[in-house]
Amino acid sequence: MGFTRYLLAALLALLSALPAASAMADLVVVVNAESGVERLDRDEVINIFLGRYRVFPSGLAALPIDQPANLPLKARFYRKLVNKDLDEINAYWARLVFSGKTSPPRQAASPAEVMAWLAANRGAIGYIERSMVDARLRIVLEFAP
Amino acid sequence: MRYRRGLTLVLAWALAAVLPCRGGEDVAAGSPSLSLKGFGTLGIARSTNDSVQYVRDLSQPDGVNKHWSSQVDSILGLQANLHLSELTEGVVQVVSRYSYDGTYTPTVAWAFLSHDFSPQISVRAGRLGTEFYMLADSRLVGYANLTVRPPPDYYGSLVFSYINGMDVSATTPVGEGLLRGKFYAGLSEEKVPFNINKLLWDLEDSLIVGGHVDYLHGPWQFRLGHAQIRFKNEIPLDALAASLGGPPGFLSYAPELSAAGKWSQFNSLGVVYDNGPLQLQLMLSQTRHESAIYENSKAGYVIAAYRLGQVTPYLGYSKVKSSAKTLASPPPAPLAPLAAGLMAQTHSDQHTLFLGGRWDIQPDLALKAQVDWIRGTPSSLFPFHGDYAPAWNGNLTVFSLALDFVF
Repeated sequence: MGFTRYLLAALLALLSALPAASAMADLVVVVNAESGVERLDRDEVINIFLGRYRVFPSGLAALPIDQPANLPLKARFYRKLVNKDLDEINAYWARLVFSGKTSPPRQAASPAEVMAWLAANRGAIGYIERSMVDARLRIVLEFAP
Repeated sequence: MRYRRGLTLVLAWALAAVLPCRGGEDVAAGSPSLSLKGFGTLGIARSTNDSVQYVRDLSQPDGVNKHWSSQVDSILGLQANLHLSELTEGVVQVVSRYSYDGTYTPTVAWAFLSHDFSPQISVRAGRLGTEFYMLADSRLVGYANLTVRPPPDYYGSLVFSYINGMDVSATTPVGEGLLRGKFYAGLSEEKVPFNINKLLWDLEDSLIVGGHVDYLHGPWQFRLGHAQIRFKNEIPLDALAASLGGPPGFLSYAPELSAAGKWSQFNSLGVVYDNGPLQLQLMLSQTRHESAIYENSKAGYVIAAYRLGQVTPYLGYSKVKSSAKTLASPPPAPLAPLAAGLMAQTHSDQHTLFLGGRWDIQPDLALKAQVDWIRGTPSSLFPFHGDYAPAWNGNLTVFSLALDFVF
């Protein structure tokens, strides 16, 4: 009983922390404007970023790109996408990498590198601040604020 | 001997520390590149019973009793990935752990070339980790797992860790989810240790084939799996029987106990639910052996975990039970007790309640503590090693601490 109460308290604490996150700048998932991809649903983005199935609905191979882990952007993205900490994402990739399966998304060293890779690869997909979106990119998924 | 084992381990860890590592970072597409990564566990465990030795799995020749020991869970793995192109990769993984010969001698656990023929179809050839059950191919990577070790009631009888062969996997969207299939085939090259006189069973050239079908949908993942092995070489029962006072050529009196040329089959069902902080795992398995020396068994486990900040408490329950076989053509009466005694060594009848916590101290480093309450019958001998002192009552509690890391 005490444990249940603890769980509830933790859940409430978690919920009360959410408004603070949404007050931050908008995070959007973008692809190269020439990819032919118009829209993706959350499950499709999960499949691409977690390496389950890296193909756009059009059949084009998807090339996911991660923001640097030392910036809050990456942690916010995975929190919004699958409600996981980066520790958990690391553990997830440790399983796949050390059993010789799919590799994690390509890791950029800076947000500028993310932009450059997105612009240079037709199949690239990444997540950036909405204010960074330019004509070379198309927004395919927005997270509810 | 113990001193040398320890030294090997320390040397391996020191080597790992000085090796340049790229921490899994990738580089631009197209250009070949090499990355080095590693994983490991520094673990200690002890039990409350000196009658048997508790092992992580039966590939370990001996285990822990009432004294704290690091040999059950301590592991170091190093992996090199050579990215030859966006679609082709070579991987070599070397693992040092307490294994069949009682040493930490590093072994090549993986060494393969993989190629993606399309985003849907991937083929790997070379030395590949076995995946008899869901999560089984990453069971040595503590950092990737929630518990200190994969529940031994379920995974403990898996002495097969790799094949030399190939596998093919394919993924396609079906309905709202993904359907994934994998088929593999290859030859074993490993050895299985026995309690008595350090006897080994050489699995070299035993054929292993298997496959599984996964369905992934949202937080759910389901798997049906099948694997089977045909033993090439005879189990050393003649030597085991002789060391227990049996006549030479014991197997000729009880040919049903022979294992050479016979199949063992492993069927399994796995369900994982992973939604934000909540994780649930349910696994069931059924193992059937053509040879009468091994009892057929059923096993299963369930784990529930809920992440609270950096700490994830978990609770689990596992169970294994096997059924005794009767010989159609039993050996002559004087040898019957010996045959029965050998067959009884493969009996399992126990369940385990385990409770633990994982603390993610910092990225790539986790500390775990776990208690296992094993409750079984005195006839439950298969999951353990040791001399099975007459005092063995089937009950055992295991305390474990583990520091898991990746780099």
